[in-house]
Amino acid sequence: MTDRVTEGTMPLRWERHLVAWTWRAACLRWGLSLAVVLGLAGAAWRLSSEPGGSRLALSLTFGALFGFVLQRSRFCFYCQWRDLLIHGDPRGMLGILAALAAGLAGYAVVLGAWMPDPSGARLPPDAHIGPVGPVLVLAGVAFGAGMAVSGSCISAHLYRLGEGSSTAPFALLGTALGFVLGFANWNTLYFGGVSDAPVVWLPRHLGYAGSLTLGLALLAGLAWPLLRRLPETRTGEPGPGGDPLRAIFSGRWPVWLGGLAVGAIGTMAYLRTGPLGVTAEIGGRARQAAAASGLLPARLEGLDTFRGCATAVRDAVLTPNGLFVAGLVFAAFAAALAAGQFRPERPRLGHAVRGLLGGLLLGWGAMTGLGCSVGTLLSGIMAGALSGWVFGFAMFAGAAATLWLGRRAGLLA
Amino acid sequence: MSRFPVRLLAILAATLLPVTGVAAQEPSARPEAVVNDPKASPLVSTVWLENNLDAKNLRIVEVSVEPGVFERGHIPGAQNVVWHTDLVETVSRDIAGPEKFTALARRLGIDKDSTVVLYGDNNNWFAAWGAWVLAQYGLVDNVKLLDGGRRKWEAEKRPLDTRTPEVAASGFTASAPSPALRARFGDVLAVAKRERDEQILDIRSPDEFSGKIIAPAGVQELAIRAGHIPGSVNVPWAKAVNPDGTLKSPAELKALYAAAGIDGTKPIITSCRIGERSSHSWFVLSRVLGYSVRNYDGSWTEYGNAVGVPVVNLAGTIWGGK
Repeated sequence: MTDRVTEGTMPLRWERHLVAWTWRAACLRWGLSLAVVLGLAGAAWRLSSEPGGSRLALSLTFGALFGFVLQRSRFCFYCQWRDLLIHGDPRGMLGILAALAAGLAGYAVVLGAWMPDPSGARLPPDAHIGPVGPVLVLAGVAFGAGMAVSGSCISAHLYRLGEGSSTAPFALLGTALGFVLGFANWNTLYFGGVSDAPVVWLPRHLGYAGSLTLGLALLAGLAWPLLRRLPETRTGEPGPGGDPLRAIFSGRWPVWLGGLAVGAIGTMAYLRTGPLGVTAEIGGRARQAAAASGLLPARLEGLDTFRGCATAVRDAVLTPNGLFVAGLVFAAFAAALAAGQFRPERPRLGHAVRGLLGGLLLGWGAMTGLGCSVGTLLSGIMAGALSGWVFGFAMFAGAAATLWLGRRAGLLA
Repeated sequence: MSRFPVRLLAILAATLLPVTGVAAQEPSARPEAVVNDPKASPLVSTVWLENNLDAKNLRIVEVSVEPGVFERGHIPGAQNVVWHTDLVETVSRDIAGPEKFTALARRLGIDKDSTVVLYGDNNNWFAAWGAWVLAQYGLVDNVKLLDGGRRKWEAEKRPLDTRTPEVAASGFTASAPSPALRARFGDVLAVAKRERDEQILDIRSPDEFSGKIIAPAGVQELAIRAGHIPGSVNVPWAKAVNPDGTLKSPAELKALYAAAGIDGTKPIITSCRIGERSSHSWFVLSRVLGYSVRNYDGSWTEYGNAVGVPVVNLAGTIWGGK
């Protein structure tokens, strides 16, 4: 990590100071990063030793793995979409498609074992398969607009919190407020379009093989035009001959690698604890706070019967999703520190306004869509839910439209 | 060397042990053999089950309430039953009808001569509900609960499996369910009005019993009135279990219920909010202590919503408040 001093020349005094200072800073960063990792490991160890704590420990571990992968590969739905739209770089979007393909295959293996016959009336346990209707489209569009305004989706704000982003805290606060707004609108939306919206699980109609084939074919169809726009291979990217430690902990991962890891983590998490999702805890706590301050409707019709990132009242302090999110943020912090990408900024008014406003849209979309780009899009598509695809298309369309309008108005870069 | 003679000896020893003699002992001194012999006891221990996983004609069935618990790891060879769809009618409020139950039993490969071991999460609440439903269709003595349920099996770090076994379907055919194990609204009302000399055991929490609250926090299914059925006594279900989730010894259980005036001399009706926790106490009183017991599955969500029936409301709660 230190700057190399050119051999054969006597370094100047200030250069020696700089080298020593850089070295000390690197040691400090690595030491702190290691301490965070040890803290996470210790917490998981402690949790697993308590009765019934293995699920909590696993959630923390999966959250940490997810946060590490997101940070290392910059797995951010909006940034990758924007890279394609503005810079014509398709590599990030290909990474997202890789995550979906890997997760689709992984889920098919798990689901095939759990429910050998998918044709009955039953849905696989706690898989995120939601109602498909106009409210889902609206939720996706709002979520996409929130991504464009605040600069990323909720999971990316969480890992950026670990990178010291000054927008992320405002965006997450806005998300919680957006949830409260969503709860306030929920009953109207429920009677207007959610209660009779069909819950479509593709394997029920096509079988596992059919659903997997269709899913992979759709992903291939989306990937084809992107692959044709791939830029020429540039030198300097980590190749097989590079230093593996540096490639893992210091350089950015190619997004496709992060995508494959996300697909694997999604499958492992579904097998052992539950589908990936980052909004259940935020939504659940927002719901509790809103109920305590009298801002919640007395009944949220049908809400707790739907699959997705459940926000039902929680009575425990430590919940699997809470620990998943905590693991994500702390692991992203450790990864950012080690890579020298922890760069806290002084918050400015623009950060606060964009964060809060975008967060409000993100929260509203995640509440009414029963999840976000992770819970509804990733975990939904992987499980064979039509709702995942519909939310995904609406989300990317909403983000593109907002970005286009914002750039025309000179408000977004 | 085969373990068969050892096991045979254990079973022989268990059947020879007089039940009353065992019942008088402390729980720590309770010989494993009692719960180790499925013929002599309505309970099987985790040790017995692990040793008999491959036994012929044994059907292990998990009835858990939390979705995904079975799929993420169950006792090897266990099959899954979903309490809120498989064991009940989903449109009308009733236990699964004969046609539905026949299909379920056949799918699980359960017949009159098979030994069925039920277990689940939440202290076997839903597994006990399953035992109560099976009993109404004539599957009584061959149906056992795993003592301590899923929690004890996990705590002892016994193996779990994620594969679903393939079981040959049985030819079981259910006839109309026996009414002898189920109390109806009219039965309970007759007791409340002292027209019939039976005892009602309400196993809800003391706060629900007194009427301080109508239902536990977060529960959707409510009643319009608070309190309990006149003449009922309150022994919360949890008092029947040890800290590790196993049932207390028969002697302790006898003393527990006798202290509330329930000693088996009169017919008993168990009741709670929706009839599922009370099936746990039904199992304890009926199968472990051998008392004459019916479960009232209408429970407080039926009685507390009924018009013109007598109610005892010690806390004086009106419409959920004062």
